[in-house]
Amino acid sequence: MSWLAATYIPFLYPINFFQTYWYLLLIPLAFGISVIYKAMRVHDLRTLWWQVGVMTAQIVLAMIGLAICLVILVQGVVPLLPVR
Amino acid sequence: MAHASQSTPKSAPAREFNPQAAVFAWLWPGLGHISIGQRHRGYAIMFGVLFLVAVGVLVGGIDAVDRREDRLWFYAQSLCGPLAFGLDFLNQNVVKNLPDEQLNHATGLARINEMGTLFVALAGLMNLVVILDALHFSPRPDKPLTPEHARRKYDRRETDQRSSSQRESEA
Repeated sequence: MSWLAATYIPFLYPINFFQTYWYLLLIPLAFGISVIYKAMRVHDLRTLWWQVGVMTAQIVLAMIGLAICLVILVQGVVPLLPVR
Repeated sequence: MAHASQSTPKSAPAREFNPQAAVFAWLWPGLGHISIGQRHRGYAIMFGVLFLVAVGVLVGGIDAVDRREDRLWFYAQSLCGPLAFGLDFLNQNVVKNLPDEQLNHATGLARINEMGTLFVALAGLMNLVVILDALHFSPRPDKPLTPEHARRKYDRRETDQRSSSQRESEA
């Protein structure tokens, strides 16, 4: 059974690659949420995948925008505050 | 004035109360919508929820679903239905009984565990929205219109317009 520990087994062992690049998981997360939400909301299912793509892009871009705002706040604005 | 009459909001379609569909939706994601005749919608929902669960378990391992150690998260995950309970059963009875060396490999730590847990929990929370939608369902078209269907509809409209203008000219 020692081979079991050495070999990667999908769904049993976690993927350690995402320990560093965890933020890449935002894309499948946004995609999955968009599929479920749009499957309920769209009137014409022909447009489902287009709308899923748009919503996924909106979520990812909004998160990038928030991240940029936070960087500006923490790196740029907070150091300017007076220190007691 | 014609523009004003066009912009008048139409009355919303009556909502149907389907407790049976809500139970089906909890038992297997998407099954609630399939049971009320919304087959395509149901398949899309099933794909979305199973995608989130699959990515969560792939990234965090089966350890991402843990009723004992992540109890609060499991409340959200349990909204996926028996699927979450099955994964937890596997975790408690198979993964946690592995020898130490393999258990170390199978246990997700830090961010990957957080992300895996989050994916499955979000799948459960989104399935709650699906359950509520199936419970109070407002009828809407399900079958996707194919390009062929759309073309036939256009042709029919053209023929109708031509025949009505012909009738007017005869009159």
